[in-house]
Amino acid sequence: MRVQLFILGLFAFVFGSGAIALVTDLSNKRIEIRYSFDGADLILFGAVGSSAVDPTSDEFDVVIVVRGPETETVIRQKQKVGPIWINANSLSFPTAPGYYAVAASRPLSDIASDAAFASYGIGFDHLPLLARTDRGLAAPDPDFRAALFRLQASQDLFRQERDQVTHVGEGLFKTDIRLPANVPVGEFIVETFIFRDGSIVARNRIPLAVDKEGFERAAYDFAHNYPFWYGLTAVLVALSAGWLAGVLGKK
Amino acid sequence: MPLYLPIAELSMNIFLVIGMGAVVGFLSGMFGVGGGFLMTPLLIFSGVPPAVAVATESNEITAASVSGALAHWRRQGVDVKMGIVLIAGGAVGSFIGAQVFTYLRSLGQVDLMISLAYVLFLGSVGGLMFWESVRAILRQRQGIVPKPKSREDRHKAWIHALPFKMRFRKSRLYISALLPLGIGMFVGVLAAIMGVGGGFVMVPAMIYLLGMPTNVVVGTSLFQIIFVTALTTIFHSVNTQTVDIFLAVLLLFGAVIGAQMGARMGLRLKAEQLRALLALLVLLVCFKMGVDLVVEPTELFSVGEGGSH
Repeated sequence: MRVQLFILGLFAFVFGSGAIALVTDLSNKRIEIRYSFDGADLILFGAVGSSAVDPTSDEFDVVIVVRGPETETVIRQKQKVGPIWINANSLSFPTAPGYYAVAASRPLSDIASDAAFASYGIGFDHLPLLARTDRGLAAPDPDFRAALFRLQASQDLFRQERDQVTHVGEGLFKTDIRLPANVPVGEFIVETFIFRDGSIVARNRIPLAVDKEGFERAAYDFAHNYPFWYGLTAVLVALSAGWLAGVLGKK
Repeated sequence: MPLYLPIAELSMNIFLVIGMGAVVGFLSGMFGVGGGFLMTPLLIFSGVPPAVAVATESNEITAASVSGALAHWRRQGVDVKMGIVLIAGGAVGSFIGAQVFTYLRSLGQVDLMISLAYVLFLGSVGGLMFWESVRAILRQRQGIVPKPKSREDRHKAWIHALPFKMRFRKSRLYISALLPLGIGMFVGVLAAIMGVGGGFVMVPAMIYLLGMPTNVVVGTSLFQIIFVTALTTIFHSVNTQTVDIFLAVLLLFGAVIGAQMGARMGLRLKAEQLRALLALLVLLVCFKMGVDLVVEPTELFSVGEGGSH
C-alpha cells in the first residue's frame, strides 16, 4: 500500500512538473546496522518524464550504479615458498569502492558500446582504480585488479549484471539493491542513467547512508576511541561472567 | 538467528556461536583443558578474521579460567608467589607477542604466523602426549609399574646453577626466579599470538622443569592464565581493536553449558585413555592447520586484513 502511494506520488511529481526528466527514490535512504543486521534489501523506484524521453512511445534502457564509500583495500597473492604457501605480493587500492553494484534493464553489451560505458565510467572495468606503489599512484597489475573484483564479488560486495532493472510500464522502473551483512559503513551514491540508442539522455544521483546505530555504534566507537578502557571493560566483563558461570555451574 | 558483531563487523548465527562454544566447552570439560587451542582455529575456520579470533579468545579464556582458579584457591591449590613470578614473565611475553602480532598483521603475515605456531606447538605437544599415553597404556597392560622419581632427581644440574634463587614455600622449592620468569614469558608470547591460555605448555613445564608438586600446578597455572590473558586482551584492544566482547560472552555461555556435560563424560574414562584422545584431538587440529599451509589454495589472492577504515 505504501509502495503504491509512493508510485502515485512519483507520477504526480514527474508529470506535474514536466521540466524534470528523471526522478528516482529509494524505499529507505538510511540503513541502520543494528544487532540483528543481516544485510538489507532496498527498492529503487524511478520514473522518466516527458522532456528527454517519451515514455509511452520510446524505448529506453536504465543502468543503475550504487557505489559505496572509498575504502583502502589490500589484495595479497600467495606464493609457494619451500613447502608452504605464504602471502608474498600485495597491492593496495586506496580508492577502491567498498561496495559497487551495477543493475541494468538489459545486458550491458546490448545497451551501449564498451567505449560508451568507458567514457561514462560505468562498470567495474571502467572504474578509475589506482594502486599505491613506491613511485606514487599507478595503474594496477591487471591480475590484482581482477582479483579485487573476484574476491569482492564472492562477498557480494561487488555485483555487476546480477540485478535486473524492471520496466513497470509508463516510464516507471524499479530495481532491488542488495546490501550484504559485511557492507562498509558510510555515504553511498546511487546513480541512475537513462540510455537511448546507446547514449545517455538523462542521469541523476541520490545519496544513501549506511551507518551503525545505537548500541552497535556505541560499542564500535568505544572500542576505537578508547581502546584501553574498552579492553579493561572486556576484562571486567569476562571476570564477572566467569565468576557468575562458576556460581551457576555449582548449582 | 543472525547477530551482527560490531567489532568483528560480520553477522553470525547466534546458535552457531553458542554451539561452537558448547562443543569446545564439552571437550575442555572432558579433558580438563582450557580449550583455546580448539576455539581459535574453529573461529578462524568459520570465517572470523584470525586477528579477531585470537584477541577475542583471549578474552573468553580469562572468563573461562575464573571459576576453576577460584575452586583451586579455596583448596589452597595456588602458589601465589610462583604465580606472581609467572605473571611478571607473562606480562613481558604477552606485550612482545602483541607487538609482533600487530607488526605481522600490517605485513599480512599474521595468518601464516598463527598457522605455523599451531602446527609447531600442537604438533610437538600432541606428539609427546600421544607417545606418553600410549606407552602408559601398554605398560599397564603388561603390568609394569614405573618407579616414581624422587623430587631431587627431577632437577637437572643446570637448573641449580642458575642465579637469583628464590624460595617458593607452597611448592617447596628453592630455585632460580629466572626459570618461572622464562616459562611465564614464553607462555605470554603464545597467549598473544595463538589465542590460547598456554596451559598445555605451562603445566608440563611446571611439573618437569620446575618440579612443582602436582596439587598446586593446575591452580597456579589458571591463576597465571587469568592475568596474562587479561593483559593480552588489553594489548590487543589497544593495538588492533579486535576484541569482540559480544562474541566472547556468547562463546563463554556455550562453553559453560558444554563443560558441565563434558566433565561428567570425562569421569567415565580412564586418565590414560583421556590423554590419548586429547592428544589425537590436538594432532587433528595441527594436521588441519598444516594441510592448509601445504596444499595449493584454490584462490591465491585474498583481501588483506587491517586495510579497511
